[in-house]
Amino acid sequence: MLCCGSVLKSSSESRPMHIVDGALSNPVVIGGAVAAVGGIAMGLRSLPLERIPAAGVLSASFFVASLIHVPIGPSSVHLILNGLAGLVLGWAAFPALFVGLLLQAVFFGFGGLTVLGVNAVNIALPAVLVGLMFRPLVARGSPLQGAIWGGIGGGAAIAATTLAVAVSLMLSGDEFILAAKLVFFSHIPVMVIEALLTGAAIFLARRVKPELFGDTKGSLA
Amino acid sequence: MIRSCVLILALLAPLPALAHNVISAVFPSGSDIEGEVGFSNGEMAPDLLIEVFDQAGGKLGETRTDTDGFFLFTPSEPVTHIFRGDLGAGHVAEAIMDAAEVAQIMGQSPSAAAPAAASTAAIPSAATAAGLSDQARAELAAMMRNELRPLRQELTAFKNKSDFQSVLGGIGYIFGLFGLGFYIAARRKIGSIE
Repeated sequence: MLCCGSVLKSSSESRPMHIVDGALSNPVVIGGAVAAVGGIAMGLRSLPLERIPAAGVLSASFFVASLIHVPIGPSSVHLILNGLAGLVLGWAAFPALFVGLLLQAVFFGFGGLTVLGVNAVNIALPAVLVGLMFRPLVARGSPLQGAIWGGIGGGAAIAATTLAVAVSLMLSGDEFILAAKLVFFSHIPVMVIEALLTGAAIFLARRVKPELFGDTKGSLA
Repeated sequence: MIRSCVLILALLAPLPALAHNVISAVFPSGSDIEGEVGFSNGEMAPDLLIEVFDQAGGKLGETRTDTDGFFLFTPSEPVTHIFRGDLGAGHVAEAIMDAAEVAQIMGQSPSAAAPAAASTAAIPSAATAAGLSDQARAELAAMMRNELRPLRQELTAFKNKSDFQSVLGGIGYIFGLFGLGFYIAARRKIGSIE
């Protein structure tokens, strides 16, 4: 576990999706917290009873996904799976991802409690947006078509998250272009892997449980 | 849904789980302050700009880490030194050495904070008592540091590692929380029907 002796090539390759305590300025932290509370309230309101178990499973998937580092060349990246959560849950992805983040912060010191709001917004907002945009497309057509759209959505969620992270850093004084480039390019492999995984998950879900995307009555879209 | 998640988990399960946290530490090194910056998995941060500030936020100077993530800084004022390294993308390393320790390094009598002599300073002063020359003292201190370095790194890595039990515990918490939510929502629904 602590073996990797390889010299760090770029500092961004360990988990930049979780911003740590002390890296952001106070207005950003407070703004993030307020936005997160709003998102969670919105998400809880659009979480019907029968979706709660699905939300729990996706929350747990997210919790575990961030702990698993995929070695790519000399560095390693970790999965996030926020796109999948957004596609399945819509707004309800917000509380689901928040719970995952909270427990990551408490158990492993990922991120930190003060930046929890910002991290929640950075990860959950792209999930919700992807859900709103791609969910109708994922539900339509053959399972394969749905899977392709799902894959695009999964990749887009990561891209949007890197952008959100870069914006948070910029608002705190980092140079945007530099930060954005650093986070974005180091996450291209994650985008590809997440796209494939999300596509596979959507394909399977469309085959075995098509009603997961079928009902629109649950105010999800 | 459940099957797809099981599939995802099954796909991911064999991969090693590990977490990265930024670790940083400073310690006296003869007349300098030595420090290290890296990640909890043992990777160090080479060639990183370390800025040094005093307590009020005024900049005292800067230095760079070497290929092993170590840096040296020679203090010129006996004040509290705050070392900050921005590893980019939300990673910030910060380590603090208080005024008493800095004063001790500079060979000044730590008049401001004599009673608060740091524990790290105890070894050199004990060596002085044993009648060692300054050079022998410095060599001894350097030797100790080199011996302790891997230990310290491993200890920090150990403190920061995420073990399997915590992962399972976290998953348990999540299911418990959502189960509770489900219970409350179901009760509300039943209540509204009656």
